[in-house]
Amino acid sequence: MSRDELILRLDELLELEPGTLMGAEKLEDLEKWDSLAMVGYMALIDEHFGIQLSPRQFINCTTVEDLLGLAKAPA
Amino acid sequence: MARAAVRAIEYHLPSIVVSTESLAAQFPEWSIEKIDEKVGISERHYAAPDECSSDLAEAAVRKLFESGVCRPEDIDFLLLCTQTPDYFLPTTACLLQDRLGLPKKCGALDFNLSCSGYVYGLGLAQGLIESGQARNLLLVTAETYSKFLHPKDRSLRAIFGDAAAATLVSATDREDALLGPYVYGTDGSGGPNLMIPAGGMRVPRSAESAVDRQDESGNVRTKDHLFMNGPEVFNLALSVVPETVCELLGRSGKTMEEIDLFVLHQANRYMLQHLRKKMRIPDEKFYIAMSHCGNTISSTIPIALKHAAMEGKLKDGALVMLVGYGAGYSWGATLLRWTEF
Repeated sequence: MSRDELILRLDELLELEPGTLMGAEKLEDLEKWDSLAMVGYMALIDEHFGIQLSPRQFINCTTVEDLLGLAKAPA
Repeated sequence: MARAAVRAIEYHLPSIVVSTESLAAQFPEWSIEKIDEKVGISERHYAAPDECSSDLAEAAVRKLFESGVCRPEDIDFLLLCTQTPDYFLPTTACLLQDRLGLPKKCGALDFNLSCSGYVYGLGLAQGLIESGQARNLLLVTAETYSKFLHPKDRSLRAIFGDAAAATLVSATDREDALLGPYVYGTDGSGGPNLMIPAGGMRVPRSAESAVDRQDESGNVRTKDHLFMNGPEVFNLALSVVPETVCELLGRSGKTMEEIDLFVLHQANRYMLQHLRKKMRIPDEKFYIAMSHCGNTISSTIPIALKHAAMEGKLKDGALVMLVGYGAGYSWGATLLRWTEF
């Protein structure tokens, strides 16, 4: 799954129009970024990248780009 | 040696119904319809203020008696799984013995587990029966978690419901095992991720514990209420469920293909579907029945089994894998050979 595809899936997860997120958005400004969205993102990364994220890895994420970066880092 | 078998299952839901519509009216800023679509729940049932776990348990057991499968005088052991007992003491199972008119020679005890409770209960029941200590045992699961949900905790209100289920486990003269083997697991380091912080002996209820606090997702709760770290609990399920399923297959010498139906603890549909895909279990072998009652903790597996049987999904001799996982952390899995008597 490419970065573009992943960011489209994040749009969907956060109930945004496709193409809304660019990467620089701050998570604290995204209304739908909550614990359920975090679970959804964990499921997405597990399914498509085979990486099981720990919720602790989200502590240092402040932007959408940081979330995308989790798909590369080993869990 | 007598072999233990599940003879019959009944369940009871309390009468207060919390629909998706009523939650949407209470939390208009929240897209509850989308949440319900994801978690797969359209109704949850809550116990009335004067209704306790023993009341739900009694109603479920009375359905078993009314079905004619057993009489109160036949019962020689009562196991009650609950984390919301009527009192700190006496044991709720003892009160139930009297209310149900069970013999005074009946053994009775409570055990405190959440979503893994049904699997552990079957293990205890089988041990009691196959060691000759009991012949007709009631395994009852009963919870009133709604009493620990803060009125403004929308996340947990969307998921949890109250219920009780009663399972008759009896000695049979069958030669083959109808239950087991078992895989159990515990990781107490996860305890704080699903807990009610105050109200026990460690942190008694106080003015301080009753102070409202809002989390970053907008949910409000106090230390007297149920707290769940959803992502951490999801992480637990991803970590232990596939591994536990593999271990049980190895221990039983069975293959995935030989399992007729998988009944996992019905936490929420989203989590279940993810686990199903991860373990490559075909949709038709994976049972979900929670839209009418939500996550009822230790009762989700017997409720799903009852519905699967009613829908004709469980034929005589069907091999069913049961997997429970949740607070503690505690998890367990077993195989059940569904048998018509």
